[in-house]
Amino acid sequence: MPKWVSMIVDGATVRTPSGTSVLEAALEAGICIPNLCHMPGVHALGACRVCLVEVVAVAGSGPPRLTASCTLEAHEGLMVTAHSPVVVRARQNIVELLLAEAPNSRAIQDLAARVGVRVVRYPMRNKNCVLCGRCVRVCDEVWQSKSLGFVGRGHDRHVALPFNTRPSSCKRCHTCIDVCPMTVTPCPGPQKAPGICGLCESQRSMAQNTPDTCVWCELGRGFQCARWQMRGLKTGIR
Amino acid sequence: MDLSELDGIVQGRGSDPFDIMEVLQDIQAAYHYLPEEALCRVSETMGVPLIEVFRLANFYKAFSLKPRGRHLITVCMGTACHVRNSPRFLDEVRRRLRVEPGGTTQDGEFTLETVNCLGACALAPVVIMDGKYYEHMTPAKLGSLLGAVRAQEGRHLVHA
Amino acid sequence: MPRLDSPAALETLQRRLIAARAFWPVRLILSSGTCGQASGSLAVLAALRQRLDRPDLRDSVHVRVTGCQGFCEQEPLLILDPQDVIYCRVKPQDIEEIVSQTLLEGRIVERLLYVDPVSGARVRREADIPFFAKQDRALISKNRWVDPCNVGDYIAAGGYSALAAVLSWFAPQRVIEEIKASGLRGRGGGGYPTGRKWEQCRNAPGEHRYLICNADEGDPGAYMDRGLLEGDPHLILEGMLIGAYAVGSEQGFVYVRNEYPLAVQNVRVAIEQAREMGLLGHNILGAGFNFDVKVARGGGAFVCGESTALMASLEGKVGEPRAKDVHTVERGYLDQPSLLNNVETWANVPDIIRRGPAWFAARGTETSKGSKIFALTGHVKHTGLVEVRMGTTLREIIFDIGGGPRNGKSIKAVQTGGPSGGCLPVSLFDLPVDFEALADAGSMMGSGGMVVMDESVCMVDFAKYFLSFLQDESCGKCVPCRVGIGRMREILEDFCEGRGTMAQFAVLEELAWTVQNTSLCALGKTAPNPVLSTLRYFRDEYLAHVEERHCPAGACKALIRYEIDDALCGRCGECVAVCPHGAIREDEGYVIDNAACQKCGICEDTCAPEAIRRIRGLVHA
Repeated sequence: MPKWVSMIVDGATVRTPSGTSVLEAALEAGICIPNLCHMPGVHALGACRVCLVEVVAVAGSGPPRLTASCTLEAHEGLMVTAHSPVVVRARQNIVELLLAEAPNSRAIQDLAARVGVRVVRYPMRNKNCVLCGRCVRVCDEVWQSKSLGFVGRGHDRHVALPFNTRPSSCKRCHTCIDVCPMTVTPCPGPQKAPGICGLCESQRSMAQNTPDTCVWCELGRGFQCARWQMRGLKTGIR
Repeated sequence: MDLSELDGIVQGRGSDPFDIMEVLQDIQAAYHYLPEEALCRVSETMGVPLIEVFRLANFYKAFSLKPRGRHLITVCMGTACHVRNSPRFLDEVRRRLRVEPGGTTQDGEFTLETVNCLGACALAPVVIMDGKYYEHMTPAKLGSLLGAVRAQEGRHLVHA
Repeated sequence: MPRLDSPAALETLQRRLIAARAFWPVRLILSSGTCGQASGSLAVLAALRQRLDRPDLRDSVHVRVTGCQGFCEQEPLLILDPQDVIYCRVKPQDIEEIVSQTLLEGRIVERLLYVDPVSGARVRREADIPFFAKQDRALISKNRWVDPCNVGDYIAAGGYSALAAVLSWFAPQRVIEEIKASGLRGRGGGGYPTGRKWEQCRNAPGEHRYLICNADEGDPGAYMDRGLLEGDPHLILEGMLIGAYAVGSEQGFVYVRNEYPLAVQNVRVAIEQAREMGLLGHNILGAGFNFDVKVARGGGAFVCGESTALMASLEGKVGEPRAKDVHTVERGYLDQPSLLNNVETWANVPDIIRRGPAWFAARGTETSKGSKIFALTGHVKHTGLVEVRMGTTLREIIFDIGGGPRNGKSIKAVQTGGPSGGCLPVSLFDLPVDFEALADAGSMMGSGGMVVMDESVCMVDFAKYFLSFLQDESCGKCVPCRVGIGRMREILEDFCEGRGTMAQFAVLEELAWTVQNTSLCALGKTAPNPVLSTLRYFRDEYLAHVEERHCPAGACKALIRYEIDDALCGRCGECVAVCPHGAIREDEGYVIDNAACQKCGICEDTCAPEAIRRIRGLVHA
């Protein structure tokens, strides 16, 4: 029997086996914490910073701090909030940065609609990869093939094959393409200036009314939110 | 490509997690860059996935995947050198040699690198040319620095 | 050197070494660390050895080659003991005079003495030079007494006696109590209480405990750790041995950055010597205590100074940090409890044991105890390694020790803490160097880099410089750091190139808040500091760039142009000759063609009557 711990997420008590991440525990419990780089079944990267939560200060542990819920292990007595004004502000700023990187991606537009980004204040770029690392981790950890990886540092960081050549360890399973959020049905692109799509406004308002509850919104399906991924794993529906 | 030295470098190593880094550093020192062939061999012999070796080679600045030029110019861009105008010097080198930091000139003569602080801040702005330190470098001194290197080369050719 | 199988054996050896050294009537000390060598100390050494290779001198004069003495501006330094003379900027051709006059006849070679920049007087004794006199050189002065490659020097100076005392009389917990009582805080920048860290490591559950010395010293402009590691590697080893005993570790690492080859070499030599003598390895000093150290050489990545990235690098991986929800003292290298401390932190340990924590705590302020080494660089007369008591003011360091401004321009600001730190204006120079005082003012102590800036430095460009640095060094994993820092840099670039708008200030500040609060590691979290501190204290410069398209310091190339003052021009034509871009032509005097001018500044540097200057550029709004 695993040891169970009890924590509080957005005021709700959540019980989960010790060792689960706060994000997975919250999603299981139906609490919406937007996320991008998270993928069930592989280790958490903590790279996108979308799943941020505020760890409410417990006596003696310093001021409230923001941290990624996918890498935060649930433990007894932990108290976090995923929808305080501070967290919402931080999350919107992060996604705004992502949107300016990849405005022509449906996944990022849906994510932006979900978290409530209304304006993009940076010149647009047009990247086709947001370095979420799902492809890398699925190849490395699920198939143990270790054929691609993150190469380079800083703004040069990109996903690549060694020497840009398919190594013999690659079995052409194409799972890397399957799990990539950027290969979902392409978005028609920014319809509203500057940079916001706006076609999925109705989905946005449905999600905004209940920010902390998962309503299986189409936006989540758009960016393959982890809860949708978990459902897909259970029912086989994508 | 002579890889005979390579086996000597790899032999007996692999028990410590850090050994892979030491192997790459030794290869860089021996060949002045990391040849693709060498990295493939290292991957096979040490059992480290090729993508991991490739990642290490790309992440750390000490490693170069392309052969270096005959002369290596390293311009320090640390804070002390920066306030004493090292960017101006770097701009002059880039313009005069038509090369960007990390790159090598077309004729294979010079490789230009930048480094973030050598710890010789009293001599700022510092430039290292082929291992020799040059102090208080300004754009005005670039001409004579390049001239000295080329004259040295010329002398060697005469004696060859 | 013999193998030592007990503390008593160490004591005996020490007495023997001291006695042997008493037979050297004259000692010459030549500083030859990296910057000493860069200034030609090896040639001086060769000349010295040659000149002393005579029957009358060979056995009576001892030359000790040491690491950095800290007075880097005046390297190579040659100290004569017992004559108590210090010669500066010595060249090989000076050796003849020094030997024949000072050594053999007792006469000073005046021209090689330090000249006081204010009084013009020549100073003979180290103790009388203000640069040295006003410091508290507890650590850096040790470099004077040891040749880093001679363990005998270290032992004769009292080395390893603290370790012997600990192994003889202290239980591990007592060692931790001593460190706690001293008030020592991490010297790498974080300032975390060292004793508490040791205790946490000792108490953390785990089968193996690892010790790490962080010698990655990536802050540009900081080289204190290099000075210590090159000059006195045994000091760090002794500190680590004491720490290993206290927390129960058997394996340690010294992770040295790639750019310090001499430090790597000297530490390796020191480790070999220590192993030979039984000071590392099994059953150290017969006390049943095992500990060994390996050197790991970094691959050239600033981010590897961050503890989780360093440990990833030690594990043979790329230096990507991980979230620190669980600290490395509990789960670090190979997921085991790991005690990581900075070089200077380890270096402080032996003296705390030898002289007692009360001695250490008596120096410094209420919350910041002991002394700290700073690398004082930039637009100051005496650049070098400076060690002062905590609580010394910035003004005392920059003016009294550093000698004030370098080129006759007035000092504008000082930057501490490297890319994680901030800039403080002259008006705050009475602040003491103290962890809390500097942090409250918007900067931080950092690892010790202290860069002085005069009026020729543009603070907007300076902030942009740090952002460029961090963009290159970021591991790239998390969005706020990889993307956010780049977007901040874009805005500053707009400012510096005359395209800035007032609306961008709000965006810049929002980005700074985001990067600070959402980044995965300390590199990202502290990245906005230079921007935030310069916005706080030098907002007028930012506004000038945006509202007036003007760079007050005359540094931003897009906002300046070069002009020849006809009244001062001597018509020598030198500028035309040196201009690599053919931008100066003769036309009833000399005129600079702004279209062709690349603003390299060579003409300005060359013009003897200083007729060429930078003026406000013509930037169209």
